Amino acid sequence: MHSFINFIMGPMVWISFLIFFCGVIFKLFQVIKQVNEKENFIYTYLSVKHSFRSIFAWMIPFLPVSTRKSPVFYTVSYLFHLLLFIVPIFLLSHVALFEESMQWSWMTFNDTVADTLTLIVIFSLIFFMIRRVVVPEVKFLTRLSDFFFILIVALPFVTGFLAYHQFFAYKWMVITHVISGELMLILIPFTRFSHMFMAPLTRAYTGSEFGNVRHAKDW
Amino acid sequence: MKYKRFVWLAALIFILSVFNVYSQEILVVDNTIFNRPQRPAAVFDHDDHNEKAQLEEDCSICHHVYDENNVRIEDESSEDSLCSECHSLKKIPENSIPLRMAFHNRCKQCHFKSDKGPVLCGECHIRK
Repeated sequence: MHSFINFIMGPMVWISFLIFFCGVIFKLFQVIKQVNEKENFIYTYLSVKHSFRSIFAWMIPFLPVSTRKSPVFYTVSYLFHLLLFIVPIFLLSHVALFEESMQWSWMTFNDTVADTLTLIVIFSLIFFMIRRVVVPEVKFLTRLSDFFFILIVALPFVTGFLAYHQFFAYKWMVITHVISGELMLILIPFTRFSHMFMAPLTRAYTGSEFGNVRHAKDW
Repeated sequence: MKYKRFVWLAALIFILSVFNVYSQEILVVDNTIFNRPQRPAAVFDHDDHNEKAQLEEDCSICHHVYDENNVRIEDESSEDSLCSECHSLKKIPENSIPLRMAFHNRCKQCHFKSDKGPVLCGECHIRK
């Protein structure tokens, strides 16, 4: 059992990060290759200025008109995406484990704060799930796999929360927590989680078309 | 008469309950040096641990002494000093292993190696 735990909390963490980074690079190359083959007309109007204009405009909360039309959804969405990164990166137990293997550490959240933020992430995911069932236009576009991906994201947060409080089956909760976190990391490049690094490309594409062709804003 | 008997009984119950509390006390590592510790102190019964781990002979595994060049001095041990006397809270030039990391690595490295003992956060930092 100890060697299994040692593997998932040691080498497997680095293997997951390696697959994640290699997957991201592979996917980016693949997309550029596909664009070159099938849609190279993009290059006639793709512009650095309009690309970055669009990327930055969409990074400012509630600047784009469509975000102001659905304030509740975008508030939850902004919070969720921010916390999805911030909570795990600045979590005391994660930093402590990192320090033990790499000899360097950084600032961490107070455990109580992190606990509350974790709950916000979990409730955001529940909100996204309900939205997919309740809002007609979203329901129309929803497939079963969408719920599966929400569950994949929820799993490390829910098991992390339960493990922290040591409610029940502590050991198995931690093991599930570690494995589900690694699974999520590995899945990012190859599933719809790839919007993590594809979003800027989408913005560059749309921003250039709106800015450079239609001479309009895309936000 | 009846009143006196009641006082004696109350005193007896009090003594027994105090005794009972101490007999059930879980031994933990002294974590008072940590500035507002976030987790409960790690469960550790020194004598019980060393008996199970068969460490009675060699104290210097945990109570080690290192010289200025970071080389362990074989025949010396440091039972008389606190871990925190060398392992400061923060990493400083004289101490490359801060206290929290020293505790964690000391316990976990042995536990992983011997395939025994707790290795996960909550197995030592138990919430009551």
